[in-house]
Order: sequence, then C-alpha cells, then structure tokens
Amino acid sequence: MSATHEMIRVINLRKKFGRLVAVDGVNLTVRKGQVIVIIGPSGSGKSTLLRCINHLEVPTEGEIWIEQQKITGSQRQLNAIRSQIGMVFQHFNLYPHLTVLENVTLAQRIVRKLSKSQAEAIAMHHLERVGIADKARSYPAQLSGGQQQRVAIARALAQDPKIMLFDEPTSALDPEMIKEVLDVMLALANEGITMVVVTHEMGFARAAADEVIFMDRGKIVERAIPEVFFNQPAHERSRAFLSQILSH
Amino acid sequence: MAVKETIEAKGQIASPPLTGTELREKIRNFPWWIVGLVGFFVLTAHLVLTRASYQEAFSFIRAGVGVTIQTTLIAYGFALILGLLTGLGRISNNVIIQNVGTLYVELIRGIPMLVLIFFIAFVGVPAGVGLLNRIGEWFSQLGLLFIAQPLLRLENSAVPMTTRAIIALSVTYGAFQAEIFRAGIQSIGRGQMEAARAQGMSYWQAMRFIILPQAIRNVLPALGNDFVSMLKDSSLVSVLAVRDITQIAKLYAGRSFQYQEAYVTLAALYLMMTVVLSAFVKWLERRVRQDERNA
Ligand SMILES: Nc1ncnc2c1ncn2[C@@H]1O[C@H](COP(=O)(O)OP(=O)(O)OP(=O)(O)O)[C@@H](O)[C@H]1O
Ligand SMILES: [Mg+2]
Repeated sequence: MSATHEMIRVINLRKKFGRLVAVDGVNLTVRKGQVIVIIGPSGSGKSTLLRCINHLEVPTEGEIWIEQQKITGSQRQLNAIRSQIGMVFQHFNLYPHLTVLENVTLAQRIVRKLSKSQAEAIAMHHLERVGIADKARSYPAQLSGGQQQRVAIARALAQDPKIMLFDEPTSALDPEMIKEVLDVMLALANEGITMVVVTHEMGFARAAADEVIFMDRGKIVERAIPEVFFNQPAHERSRAFLSQILSH
Repeated sequence: MAVKETIEAKGQIASPPLTGTELREKIRNFPWWIVGLVGFFVLTAHLVLTRASYQEAFSFIRAGVGVTIQTTLIAYGFALILGLLTGLGRISNNVIIQNVGTLYVELIRGIPMLVLIFFIAFVGVPAGVGLLNRIGEWFSQLGLLFIAQPLLRLENSAVPMTTRAIIALSVTYGAFQAEIFRAGIQSIGRGQMEAARAQGMSYWQAMRFIILPQAIRNVLPALGNDFVSMLKDSSLVSVLAVRDITQIAKLYAGRSFQYQEAYVTLAALYLMMTVVLSAFVKWLERRVRQDERNA
C-alpha cells in the first residue's frame, strides 16, 4: 500500500502530566486496514497514546496526523475529524439516560446531521452486526457488560469511522463475556477496518494483529508481527512482560 | 415514603393475627407526625370556621397568597437560569468566567439573606439602572436610538418594590442553585464527556445532550428543596413593603391588635403551601425515578 493510505501518523509524541512523562517520544504509522495491538505493563502510556490520537489528551510535544490532516496545533476541524474515529472504552461509557437505539443515533443526528429515520436505519444495521438488535429499546443498565460493550462498538461503527480505537475493551468484563466482544472485534478486523487496540488478550493479538507494539515507560520498545513477537521477542523487557502475562 | 411502603406491604401480608412485637413495631413505624400535622390544620380550620376574629384575619391575609406564590415562582424561574449559567461558569476552562462565578457565589453565601435583600433593592438595583442608562447613552451616540431610548427612559424610582424583591430573591437563590448545578454536573463521570467528545460532539452539544440531562435528574431533589425554601424565604421581602402574606399579616395585626389570630393564620397558610409544594416535588421525583426504572 502506498503512503497515501497512511491513516495515522504519530511523530515524536510526548505527553507530560505535570512532571510525569506518560508518553516519551513515540513515532508510529498505521496504514489503512491495519490492525495494531498495543500491549505493555500498567502505566506504560498505552491509554495516553491512544487518547492523544483523537486528541482527548492534548500532546505536550509532537504531531498527530490523521489521513494527511494535522490535528495537533490548529483545532478547528477537530470535531469533524473525531467523528471519523470511533473509540471504545474500557468502561463502555454508554449514555445511561438514553436507550440503546438513542445511544447509537445521537451523534449521527447532531454531528453528522442525519435524519432520524436515516440514523435509525444505520443504527439497526450496526446493532445487528454486533448481534444485539433485539435490545434496541432497552436502556444500558438493563444489559450485561458484554452486551453494553457491543452496543458501544455499534455506536462507534455508526459514525462510519475510518479508524477504530479500543482501550482495553474487555478488561472490565466477566470472563464469560469476553469472548462475545472479542468475536465482534475479530470480525471487524477481518472486514479490513483500521484498528488500534490496547488489550491484554494475547489470543486476540495472535489472531487479529498485523503488528504488535510493546510499550514500556512511555516508549515503544518493540514492534513486530505477532509470530515474531510472541515466539522470539527481541527485547529483554518484552520477554519479561510476556513470561509474566503467559504464566497467569 | 419508605415507611409508608413498608406499612402497606406489611398490611397485605399480615392477615394472621399480629403478635405483640409486630404490633409494637407497627406502632413505632407509623408516621405519627402526619397525624400531628393534620391535627394542626384541623384546629386552624376549626378556629377559622367558628370564630369571627379568625375568620376576619383569614379572609384579610388570604389576599397575599397570590403575591407570595407569584413572587416565588418568578424568582425561582430566574434563579434556575442564573444558577445554571453560573454553575456552568464555575466549571468553565475560562479563568475569568470561572472566577466571576465563584466570586458571585462566595459573596452571596457570606451575607445574610435579609441584608442581601436590602442591599440588592437599594444599592444593586439603582446601580443596575444607572449602568443601563449609561449603555443607553452609548447607544444613542452610536445612533442606535431604538435600543437607546428604552434604556434611557429607565428610572430607579420607577422600579416597583415587587420587582426589586424578585431580583433580590433570584440573585440570592441563583448562587445557591449554581452550587447545586455544579455539584450535579461534577457528579457525572468524566467518561461521559469523553465519549461524547470522542464522537465529535462539541463541548456544548455534550453538555446539552449528555451531561445536563443526567445532572439535572440527579439534582432534582435538591432543586425541589430549594423551591420550598424559597417559598418560605419569600416572607423576607415583606421588609420591602411588598404585600405578600407576611406583610399583610403584619399590617393586619398592627391595625387590629389581633396578633394571635394574624400569626396563627399566617403560619397555617405557609405550612399549607409548603406541604402541598413538598408533596408535589416528591411526586415529581418519584415519577422521574420511575421513568428511569421502567427505562
Ligand atoms: N489525567 C492524568 N493525570 C495525571 N496522570 C495521568 C493521567 N492519565 C494518565 N496518567 C499517568 O500517566 C501514566 C500513563 O498512564 P496510561 O493510562 O497511559 O497507562 P496505561 O499503559 O494505559 O496503563 P493501564 O494498563 O493501567 O491502563 C501513568 O503513570 C498514569 O498514572
Ligand atoms: Mg490504560
């Protein structure tokens, strides 16, 4: 694929919280259709990197480009750019006062200015895609965690995003619900959606990732295809992390 | 409320004869205070119906109910708007707006309400009118007469006491409600704003569609309490000679020397209004919560 298919480019990104350096000089490119899995110990800056990509955190230094558009610095187009990036959070962050259907249609209607019937048709399509169309009239509190996370994925998909960001989407779920969410994500990966996924699910990384990125202390330590990363990790710290995670 | 429900629930189950402890429990849980309240109303009604002096006091003072309710409703409406705007201002990222909001809230909280009412009526309003006159002059220099003229025509002495009273109550309660709204907004998890912004909503869209609907639902009880408090505090505007029920009762007592009749009637009227209002507020809350549950 050519450089014109570059979806995300992160240049020398640094993010400080006070004196703490959460992300320390990260460079990263993600091409169209790629699935990137980011792993690393707690506090290594994975979430912060992800949140800088759609500017939920303002970078201290460096640049973020989304499809040839620079989003750091000038922020005039920010809302428009964000509406093309779907984000799925660890704690779902569904809107509890709205029904499932309203959760999925709201942004379409007020950001993309679609009509109610258009937005609902799109919403139902994506709810079916994640296998939860029968809950369209329910409220988030009436759903299980796995169901809520699938709604959150449908909500992001309904934005017709060019990129999907996932921040530990299964970490808050009971074990028996993890699979239903991973299955949906795996299907999306196979459909060719560009995805950046922070996760501890090594099975998912092996099955879906084009590349695995290992972060530690705000830096990218290793970047490799899954076969290489899991079988012959090049770095001492990657090896230590893997042995720790796999021994569980 | 909860007490009543448990009693009802027990009443349905307890068909077998009650044991001694059950009976004692039932007596303990019974809301006797309601009996006392009803007793007070019955007693007052009895006095009003049977004694000419009470009857006279009642029909005289009753005339102020309209002013009291009107003052409260209008001032409450303005206080809600002022409170919401100030509450939003206090959590704003704009340092100036945030500080102005905080200053306003702290000023109001540090001054007794009675003093505030005098201050706003006799210092605040004249200053405000003076400012509007200035703005009028400025507009007339710009040649915008249609804006300038109504502003220039404003006169401090022409502002009625009722208006001053409403402004004073609004400004005072606006500060209280700012705190309620601020706390309500801050009680909504950060993730909600983030999810909304991540979807491309603007800050204000996220506020309007995501944060405020949840925040307001959470603070409804507090807002309801304030409504009842304001009804009571509206009695303070009698110091501005606004003819609310307190003022009328005072006038009546001073003229007829029937202090007991005047103030028993006055207290009963307030109590009646607040009891009805509280019940309405509770009903509203329960409905909202029910919506949530059915939801
Ligand atoms: N809003 C914030 N304010 C201050 N410090 C923060 C903030 N967000 C993150 N940090 C700090 O930045 C560092 C990186 O955090 P980050 O959440 O990116 O790590 P992570 O790799 O996602 O960890 P985890 O696996 O626990 O989610 C941590 O030390 C964290 O405490
Ligand atoms: Mg994280």
